Amino acid sequence: MNDEATTVVADLEAGIGTLTRLDAAAVDATVVVVEPTLRSIDVARRAVAVADEQRQGRVVVVANKVSDGQDRARIEEAFGNRALVVVPEDPAIDVADRLGVSPVDHEPSAPAVAALEGLVDALGLTS
Amino acid sequence: MSETVGMAESASMIRMAFVGKGGAGKSTIAGTFARLLARRGRPVLALDSDPMPGLPYSLGVEVDDHPIPDDVVVAGPEGGPRWVLRPGLDASAMVDRYAVVGPDGVCYLQFGNLWGHVARLQQAQHAWSQVVAELDRDRWHLVGDLPGGTRQAMFGWARYADTVCVVVEPTVKSMHTARRLLTLAQAKWGPSNLMLVVNKARGGSDATVVSERLGVQPVAVVPCDADAVRADRRGAAPLDAAPDGSLARAVDALVDRVVSLYSLGSLGEEVAQ
Repeated sequence: MNDEATTVVADLEAGIGTLTRLDAAAVDATVVVVEPTLRSIDVARRAVAVADEQRQGRVVVVANKVSDGQDRARIEEAFGNRALVVVPEDPAIDVADRLGVSPVDHEPSAPAVAALEGLVDALGLTS
Repeated sequence: MSETVGMAESASMIRMAFVGKGGAGKSTIAGTFARLLARRGRPVLALDSDPMPGLPYSLGVEVDDHPIPDDVVVAGPEGGPRWVLRPGLDASAMVDRYAVVGPDGVCYLQFGNLWGHVARLQQAQHAWSQVVAELDRDRWHLVGDLPGGTRQAMFGWARYADTVCVVVEPTVKSMHTARRLLTLAQAKWGPSNLMLVVNKARGGSDATVVSERLGVQPVAVVPCDADAVRADRRGAAPLDAAPDGSLARAVDALVDRVVSLYSLGSLGEEVAQ
């Protein structure tokens, strides 16, 4: 895929198995999605370390399901020096998941969907 | 519609593996199940084939970043496995040496930690395969936790289990994976029992939706437990944080159900609703 006008978005398996098997410098950016639980933070720290080591582009951490300041602090403590996008806990996502529809289609103005605009910015995808 | 799918011989020692989509709550339920089973005075070995930490948190075991060392294996015989446990080291010795004893006396054995590259895990993987194949099945009740998705189930990582428990959230994505796992387990694995547990249920309709979509009646419905969710955020085992919570109660009932299936020798019999 050499078309510079094409953006490829890949959703990897949970964990870091696929990430460790990518060729070095295979992607322009790595988005590490983390929940504010210790176990999720533990895995995300490993993912960030592998992405750095393998030079997988700009690493952006997306803190998902953040419900309060304590959640946010937990994530910032672990990834404070990283580009960070915070996505709030949002019932609209839960409903969309149960319906099996895209959150963008279900409720485009949902706070979680709006927060992901920040990810586009963090990745430098807006002109 | 039945609660269990499949037919096979009866057994007394429980050999159970939890599978499901990532985030469905396998580790949470598996860890809680292992501890509650152990509280009934049964020796329990928790087998964790997920190289990412999940089960240690729900067991209340400290996360250990020291994988089983590579030197537990030596080159295997020609035509056989690439690596085998080195002479003098068998499955029992591996458990004695590398398993950690956690709360309620549950022994916890992890296949390997994935900090760096997959190559480092290949030897641990061979060791793991041999250990689970050669474990003394009269010594332990086995409770296994597989990584999310279908990969390990596909490749037979949990053939030690004669009961496979598919954990599903009432979301379309999770049910999609659960359906694949139910099909895959029957086709590739052939466990005596195939059970479905609905997790994170809000109200009775969630269980109804899941059972209608998958054609299997859940053997347990685990409600959303706000205390357990809060515990998860700070890395505490749900059983320690909310010992009388709805999650613990539902899993306790699941333990009773499974113990009853095994002790009655009705493993594999269809349980009509």
